[in-house]
Amino acid sequence: MEVVCLGLNHKSAPVEVREKFAVGESKLGEAGKGLTELVGLSEGVVLSTCNRTEFYAVGETDGVAERIKSHLRETHGLSEDDDAHFYLKSQSEVATHLCRVVSGMDSMVLGETEIAGQVKRSYEAAHREKATKGVLNRMFQKAFSVAKRVRSHTGIQRGQVSVGSVAVDLAEKIFGKLRDSHVMIIGAGEMSRVTAQSLLSRGAKSIFVTNRSYDKALSLAEDMNGQAVRFDDWEEVLSTVDIVVSSTGAPHAVVTRDQVEKVRAKRKYRPLFFIDIAVPRDIDPEVAEIDEVYVYGLDMLSRLAEEGHQQRTKEVEACELIITEELQKLVIPGLTK
Amino acid sequence: MDRQVLILACVFVALAAVLGLRSVRHGARGWGTTVSMLGAFLCQLYVLGERGRMHGQCPLHDVGEVALFIAWSQTMFYLITGPAFRTSLLGLFSTPVILITQIIALWPGNLEQTVTKELSVDYWREVHLGFSVMAYGAFALAAVAGVMALVLRQKLKKGLSGNLVGTMSSVTNLDTSLHRLNIVGWVIFTVGIIGGVMMKVEGGLAHLIVAVIIWSLYGLLIFRKIWKGLPPKVMAWSTIILFVAALWIFAAV
Repeated sequence: MEVVCLGLNHKSAPVEVREKFAVGESKLGEAGKGLTELVGLSEGVVLSTCNRTEFYAVGETDGVAERIKSHLRETHGLSEDDDAHFYLKSQSEVATHLCRVVSGMDSMVLGETEIAGQVKRSYEAAHREKATKGVLNRMFQKAFSVAKRVRSHTGIQRGQVSVGSVAVDLAEKIFGKLRDSHVMIIGAGEMSRVTAQSLLSRGAKSIFVTNRSYDKALSLAEDMNGQAVRFDDWEEVLSTVDIVVSSTGAPHAVVTRDQVEKVRAKRKYRPLFFIDIAVPRDIDPEVAEIDEVYVYGLDMLSRLAEEGHQQRTKEVEACELIITEELQKLVIPGLTK
Repeated sequence: MDRQVLILACVFVALAAVLGLRSVRHGARGWGTTVSMLGAFLCQLYVLGERGRMHGQCPLHDVGEVALFIAWSQTMFYLITGPAFRTSLLGLFSTPVILITQIIALWPGNLEQTVTKELSVDYWREVHLGFSVMAYGAFALAAVAGVMALVLRQKLKKGLSGNLVGTMSSVTNLDTSLHRLNIVGWVIFTVGIIGGVMMKVEGGLAHLIVAVIIWSLYGLLIFRKIWKGLPPKVMAWSTIILFVAALWIFAAV
C-alpha cells in the first residue's frame, strides 16, 4: 500500500502556480472522487486554500504520485516547470505533514486556526463522495484530534502576528465584543481599509470614512457599506465613534489633544482607541496622555506582532513533540515509515 | 468546629488564588478559581449559619463575625458577577482581600468562642447590620475591579502584552462591572440605612451619620457616572478610596 501527499504551498510555489492548481470549495468532493477513479487509487482527498493545494491519495501499488501528476497534466496542464514546485510526502510522512498542516504549523501565519476548518471541509466533501476509506479516515481524524491537543496544550495560537490582527485584538481588549463599536477611518489608504475590514469582520457596528478628497472617501465608504464624512466635519463624528484608524499622508498631526479634549464630556469619557498607521504620525503623541484614550502607532503594533511571532515560534518544538507522541499511537496496517 | 471550617475556607481561597495564577501563567481561562471560591462560600455560609443559630440573631457581634460576613458577601458577589459578566481574573484579584478578611476573623480573640443566645430581636437593627455589611462585600469587589481596571489600563497604555493582559477581561467590561457592583452595593446599603433609621438607637448616632455620609458619597459617584460620565481613572480611584475610607472610619467609630 502506498500513501502520498502531493502538493504545493506558499513556500514552494508562487501565486501564479498556486492559482493554476486551485480547486473551488464546491468542487473539492468531486476532485477527491476523481482521484479514486484513477487506476489503482482507492482513496483521495483534495485540499485547496489560497496558500496551498494538496492531493492526498492511497493506492494499492507504487506509483501513486505519478498517476496523480499524469491526471494533473490532463486536467490542470501541469508542466515541467510547475512540477518543480510540487513536494511529495509518502507513507508515515503524510500523517506528520497533515498534522502540521491542520495545527497551523505549515501556514503562512504560524499557528493560524482557519486552516483546520478548511481541511475539515475538504475531508468531509471527499467523505460525502465516498472517496475516503480506512486509511485516510483514520489519518484525518487523528490529525484533527492532534491539532486540538496542540492548540489546547501549547501557545501556538496565542498572541497575534500581523499589525492588523494585533490592532483588532487590542480593540477587543478595550471594548470587549465589537458589536457596539463605531469605527472612523481618516485617510482612504489601503492599510486603513484592511484594518477597518478586520474590525467589521469581528462585528464593528458602523464605519465612517473621511478623506481630504471627498470622492475617495465616498468610494471607500461605498466599498465598506459605510458613510462618508467631509474632512471638515470629522471632529463632529469623533464624539460618536470608538475606534479611529488613521493613515493620511499629512506631514503633521491630524488629530490633536485639544480636538479630543473637546469631545470627552460629550462622549461621557468612554474609551477611544486610535490606530495610527501613518508615517509621519497622524495622532499627536499628547493625545495618549488623556485617561480614556489609547493610541497605538505603527511601531508599537509592529513590536507586538513581532512578540506574538516569537512567542509562537518558541512553541513549535512543543507542538512537534505532541505530533510525534500522538502519531506513535496511530496504527494503520500496511503503512510503513 | 467553626474555626476548622473557617480554616478550610481559607484553604479554598488560597487554592483559588493558585489556580488563578496558573491560568494567568498558561494564558488560559479556567473554572478552577470559581469552583474553589464556591467551596469557600459554602464554608463561610456554614460558619455564619451556625453562629447565627447560636446567637438567635444576625451573626455580627464581634470583629471576627463582621470580617467573616464581609468575606462571605464579597465571595457571593464574585460568584454572581464574575462568571456571569465574564470578568476574568476578578476571582484572582479578590482572593487576597478575602483571605486577609478571613484571617482577621480567625485572629485569636476576634471570633468569640462563647456565644450567648439573645432573647429579644430588633428586626430593624438586624436589617441595618446585615444589609450594610453585605453592601460592603459589593463595594469591596467594586474596589477590586477598580484595581484591575487601573492595572489593565496602565499596561495597555504602555503597549505591554503578556499573559496577564491576555487573560484579563476587557477595559469596558471591568468598568461596567465596577459600576454595577457600586450600584448593587448602594441599593443594598440603602436598605441598611433605612433599617438604621428605624432601629432603636443605643449609644450615639455617630456610626449612623457616618453611614449616611458614605451612602451619599457612593450615590454621588453613581449618579455622576450615569448622568455625566467620569474619566475611568477618577471612577476607579474614587471607588477604591471610598471603600478603604469607609472601612477605616467604621473601624474608628
